[in-house]
Amino acid sequence: MLFQIDELQRKAKLIRGRILEMVVSANKGHIGGAFSCSDILVSLYYGGILRYDPGKPDWSERDRFILSKGHSCIALYAVLADLGYFPLQVLSSFCQNGSILGGHPDRNIPGVEIDTGSLGHGLGVAAGLALCAKMEERDCLTIVLLGDGECYEGSVWEAALFSAHHELNNLVVIVDRNRQCATDFTEDCNRLDPLADKWRAFNWDVREINGHSFVELTDSMKELRSRSSSRPLAVIANTVKGKGVSLMEGKVRWHHGVPSGENLDIARKEICQG
Amino acid sequence: MMTDSHPVISQDISEKDIRDAFFDHLYDLAAKDKNLIFLTADMGALSLERFRNDLGSQYINAGIAEQNLVSVASGLALGGKKVFIYAIAPFITQRCYEQIKIDICGMRLPVTIIGSGPGISYGSDGPTHHAIDDIAIMRNMPYINILNPSDSVLSEAAAGFAYESNDPIYIRLDKGRPPVLYERDITFHDGLSVLKQGQDLTIITTGIMVHKAFEIVGELARYSIDAAIVDAYRIKPLNDVMMTDIISRSEKIITIEEHSVTGGLGSAVCDLMADRGILKPIKRIGIRHVNCTGYGSREWLHEYYGLDSRSICKEVISWLGDFLCTKIKKY
Repeated sequence: MLFQIDELQRKAKLIRGRILEMVVSANKGHIGGAFSCSDILVSLYYGGILRYDPGKPDWSERDRFILSKGHSCIALYAVLADLGYFPLQVLSSFCQNGSILGGHPDRNIPGVEIDTGSLGHGLGVAAGLALCAKMEERDCLTIVLLGDGECYEGSVWEAALFSAHHELNNLVVIVDRNRQCATDFTEDCNRLDPLADKWRAFNWDVREINGHSFVELTDSMKELRSRSSSRPLAVIANTVKGKGVSLMEGKVRWHHGVPSGENLDIARKEICQG
Repeated sequence: MMTDSHPVISQDISEKDIRDAFFDHLYDLAAKDKNLIFLTADMGALSLERFRNDLGSQYINAGIAEQNLVSVASGLALGGKKVFIYAIAPFITQRCYEQIKIDICGMRLPVTIIGSGPGISYGSDGPTHHAIDDIAIMRNMPYINILNPSDSVLSEAAAGFAYESNDPIYIRLDKGRPPVLYERDITFHDGLSVLKQGQDLTIITTGIMVHKAFEIVGELARYSIDAAIVDAYRIKPLNDVMMTDIISRSEKIITIEEHSVTGGLGSAVCDLMADRGILKPIKRIGIRHVNCTGYGSREWLHEYYGLDSRSICKEVISWLGDFLCTKIKKY
């Protein structure tokens, strides 16, 4: 699926709107991080980066997308439902009793590759998937979305070492660099900067982009299958937590939270206006 | 097989180290199946050299990074590979417990976790290297099978069983050449074996302690106590039907393990009895709430922690109390 930039913008607006309504309906959800990665997900699924078939979630030649920052699953759910992996109305069951859509994703959900929720697992599993594709000489990509706060986990760097050593150039990490963890700003907690240099030091190719620019997102990840480099690729996507709703943008308190009253009206209006 | 003496059946495999028997068979399986991938956290073994040299594309040293080792194994298994991972037992269980829980067992993937050095087999290397609570934590993992081979035949069979299985498996892989107890046609289907029948007492044990049970039974016989020996070589899932039958026909039960008494084989047997409503005297023998900071050989540590045959006998006889007095009076 390959959308033009204005189509991607419209789709992102739609996805953010659905995220908002899921959170309001369930009265819970990690809305800030879901909004910071919404444009990334829209680029991956609608911008011609990922190869997939919603009608065949188990297609062997599909690219694998791993949402390592599993708490942002509402963004992924909105995308997967929009693509037809499951009916749109299932979104309204988010976090309800018996729903397939929980607060963190698992692979019982069509389109979800692995169970995530505890941070620091996704890259290692993705490295195994990418290594498997190499062994079998399949041209599938494995793309992992990490939170920047997730990069505190030591297992991320164990996997980064492994991936570079095994020259997994079919593996792409996108770091949702919204500069916040759950209760703090990352640079006030344990400084992550210079984050790009850290990935370079682990022998990864690195691209730093504006994670809300569809031009930069799609440019930085086009032609991933024909990269000449033997290194895995890290895309540091600079984003804003809560992006799209001014009262949430850059505010730590919106790691998770449910807007109500006037705030909800503002959120709906701003997302709609985009 | 039921005999009073410590049986040695197959001279051929009896010359093999338990660990070598496992890895030699794994080599044969891997040579026939390119989908079998072996990953180690920088742990070797002489018998692995052939694997590494001949089947290099299927052998990965992932370095001392057990959490990543488990996650990579998960990815490979998701891709359709049959994966075996290998490290020192506490490091491949406790350090990466969450990776095993989420990345392997939660998704019910066919990954076999090989823990080297069960119990206190690392001897003088000390408490960091001992695995005396690995059964306790791994028993709580969904879908997992826990195997604890007591001889080279079972060890070889464990490799085949793991290869055929579609579930996660944890193997407590010992080393050394204890006498062989089994014929080569053994499978893991039953999960346990009655190695000796006995009227008065049933000893349920596992792994290397099975051999100690034969010494204990010999000692108890001097007091006219006729004890049975059950080798629970598959600790999870226990064979409920067979184990219930054995326990129901036993006067008293003793469990012996080179593991903490909390959460190990003894606890598993007690759980079974509780769930089945079986009220029988049972005594759990193992390591009691210590950090194993004593340094010495495995044999020395067994004495230190009361797991040598003499100490166990003493404990059993003391526990038998009135039962034993009656016997001695008759004698």
